Amino acid sequence: MASADKPINTDVPEKDVFALHFLQSLSNLRRQNTFNSPEKTNDRVKKIKKAAYVSMARAAGGTSRLWSRALLRRAAKETNKVVRFSRRKKRVTWLRRRSNRRDPVEEEEKEAERLRNLVPGGGAMETSKLIEETAYYIKCLSMQVKVMQCLVDGLSPK
Amino acid sequence: MSGRRSRSRQSSGTSRISEEQINDLIIKLQQLLPELRDSRRSDKVSAARVLQETCNYIRNLHREVDDLSERLSELLANTDTAQAALIRSLLTQ
Repeated sequence: MASADKPINTDVPEKDVFALHFLQSLSNLRRQNTFNSPEKTNDRVKKIKKAAYVSMARAAGGTSRLWSRALLRRAAKETNKVVRFSRRKKRVTWLRRRSNRRDPVEEEEKEAERLRNLVPGGGAMETSKLIEETAYYIKCLSMQVKVMQCLVDGLSPK
Repeated sequence: MSGRRSRSRQSSGTSRISEEQINDLIIKLQQLLPELRDSRRSDKVSAARVLQETCNYIRNLHREVDDLSERLSELLANTDTAQAALIRSLLTQ
C-alpha cells in the first residue's frame, strides 16, 4: 500500500565539506575586517553565527534541500539585519491542555507544528516532508557543531 | 504551496499521508536522536514523543551554535595567531 518512493536519503556530506565552507565564510569575514575592528562583540558574534548557518546550508547542498534553500533565502534578505531564527512567538499555552481526549494524532500534529517553527522553511511543508527534512537538518546541524567545536578547540590556548 | 494542497486533499481530520511512510520516517528520526536511540526496542516510542525530542534536540543544537559562535568570536579577535591556528587546527583532524 505504501507507495515505495525513492528511499529517503539522509546521508550528509563529510565533515571536511562543512569545515571547508565554514572556513571560507570565516575568511570572508576576515577580509571584511570583522575581527580586527573594535566592533561591538555582539555584532561579531552574530556575523559568525550567520556565517555558520549559511555555510552549513551550502555544505548541505545549497538549494537541493528545502531547509537549506529557506536558510539561504533568509540570509540573503537580511544582509544587514541579523536575526535569530524568528520563532513565531506562539505562547506554548496550547501545548499540554489536560483534556481527556488524548488523541495521539492530534498530539503528533502539535509537535509537528513546533517542529515547523524550528526547521527553516518548515511552515510550507507537509508532515512527511517535514520529518524527512528534519532528519537531514539535524545531521547537518550536528556536523556543523562538530566543526565549530574543533575550531574552538584548535584555537584555544593549550 | 504544494504541501498545503496535498494536506487538504486527504483531510479526514488526520493527515493520512500514508501512515506507514510517516512511521518509517519517525523511526529513522528516532535513531538520530541521542536521547531515544538506545531505548528498549520493545517499547515503541510514540511519534509525538519523537517529535518532541526532536524539537528539544534542535533547540540544543541551536544553543550550541550560539555558544560556539561566541567563543569563536573571542578567539578570532586576535587575528595574527588565529590565522595560523585556524589552518592548523583543521588540518590536524
